[in-house]
Amino acid sequence: MTTKDIGPKNPVEQGVAQAADYVDERSGVKNSGRWLMFRNIPAGTSWFQTLGFTAMALFGMQAITGIILAMYYKPDPNTAFGSIAHITNEVTWGWMVRGMHKWGASAMIVIVFLHMGRVFIWGAYKYPRELTWVTGAMLLMMTMMMGLTGYLLVWDQKAYWATVVAVNIFASAPILGPYIGDILRAGPEFGPDTLSRFYSIHMLLIPGGIATFIGLHLYFIIRLGISEPPWAKRALRVQRDEEDARRKAARNRDAGLKGSVSFPPAVVTDGQEVSR
Amino acid sequence: MKKADKVAYDKDYAASKKNGKPFFPYAIYKDTIIAGLAILAVIVLAITVRAEVGEPVNPATTDFIPRPEWYFYFAFELLKIFANQNALTPVIMATFMVPNILIILLVIWPFIDRGPERRIWKRPFALGTAVLVTTGLCYLTFIGATTPEGVAKGETLPLTGLDAAATTGEALYLANGCSSCHMIKGVGAPGPGPELTNEGAKGWDNAKMVQWLKAPLAPMPSFASLPPEDLDNLATFLNGLGTKYK
Ligand code: HEM
Repeated sequence: MTTKDIGPKNPVEQGVAQAADYVDERSGVKNSGRWLMFRNIPAGTSWFQTLGFTAMALFGMQAITGIILAMYYKPDPNTAFGSIAHITNEVTWGWMVRGMHKWGASAMIVIVFLHMGRVFIWGAYKYPRELTWVTGAMLLMMTMMMGLTGYLLVWDQKAYWATVVAVNIFASAPILGPYIGDILRAGPEFGPDTLSRFYSIHMLLIPGGIATFIGLHLYFIIRLGISEPPWAKRALRVQRDEEDARRKAARNRDAGLKGSVSFPPAVVTDGQEVSR
Repeated sequence: MKKADKVAYDKDYAASKKNGKPFFPYAIYKDTIIAGLAILAVIVLAITVRAEVGEPVNPATTDFIPRPEWYFYFAFELLKIFANQNALTPVIMATFMVPNILIILLVIWPFIDRGPERRIWKRPFALGTAVLVTTGLCYLTFIGATTPEGVAKGETLPLTGLDAAATTGEALYLANGCSSCHMIKGVGAPGPGPELTNEGAKGWDNAKMVQWLKAPLAPMPSFASLPPEDLDNLATFLNGLGTKYK
């Protein structure tokens, strides 16, 4: 029997409520959480604006499947290939986790490009969201670097030689190229330390960078608010009103000119305007 | 954007927010549906197209087809476009100029396109740039996905006049995956490396060719791990292409 209305709440409920109050008293998390969740966004928000969240969800999925893979993967030239085969053929659900991680990488690239396309087409990078775009551009490049560094980890012939060629390409760039090549390879040649270096870059360095930049990206998005579709009726009306006002002001000015000096109004002397 | 445009935008946006809807649930439900579908698609792909276990790495045999992930095909194809120029052009154009121009354009784009207009059909310059870059990338990716990856097993090169050293050289050429980047008389991938049908016309001696094979210009990998006599046979074969061996 539940004792909903009579007497004090059951001790567990009471304890949870007390703990929540304790945390809220010190963090204010209730208020900010409520603000975050129930803040207004423009009414016309469209399905195209779900792509950034989808990219984030896929990043989360990559993180989880990646953590599971890291439990079995061995970043050593002698054992790496074997551990991949072990994950694929023996570990329970291993083939599934590896498959999700592999396809998730491609899916994330596709979604990030679509998201960028949406932002571009909408002009959503314009004032005041320029820096949101710049942090996004960093995210795009880091996402692609994840693909590059992860590809080598399976340590099969195709991936190995493709990565040799890719690193050669980096190394061939003028000025900084040779240094970048040495940093990626952990030396002048592909060697035993190259694999663990790629592993570290792939699972610590770049994910840390992506997480940081997603944080910055979200900070800007929440602070500035998500933009409205550029074809929103209300926005167009505001624009039309303003154009009307401008035109009216111009007319008034021209009328004023005509009144005092007998020059034709500026609009008419402008060949462009006459031909319209 | 001019000051007045900024003020107008801020006013406009504030109005749109005032007449807006709460983030939860109106945005969140859409986000959840699309993200859920994306993850579902990944799961379906993981089940239907299984991740394979390839061939283990063996840095000694260079029997390889260096193909990157599909989203780097465009860079790979760029190399091919510039493949038949002199040795340095592909390096500078495809690996440095074009990618860096794209990256810089990407990062500074909001500071180039600054007008108040947001509707794409009234931003012809932005639309043009988008169409150009997108078609370019899609086209190169498509080409990268559809070109053959080199020669089939057992295929030989349509050459005549091979002597003993050149026959060994030809076998080495095929076994070491050279044809996954170079073409000889229509056989092999059309890049990223230049066509070698007339390589002999350069008039290099074997020492120079061996030197090149050991330390080539990027992106070609080094073949320094091959035994000296193999390198010599390869050099003989290559230096006769188009002159002795046609
Ligand atoms: C890992 C990659 C990325 C993640 C996780 C991400 C996440 C998000 C999220 C959650 C939003 C909210 C609105 C929406 O979903 O459309 C957003 C908006 C935005 N993103 Fe991204 N994004 C990524 C990459 C990019 C890239 C590559 C760019 C552009 C170069 C970019 C530029 C922007 C801009 C300008 C906005 C604000 C748009 C607006 O207010 O309408 N983002 N992003």
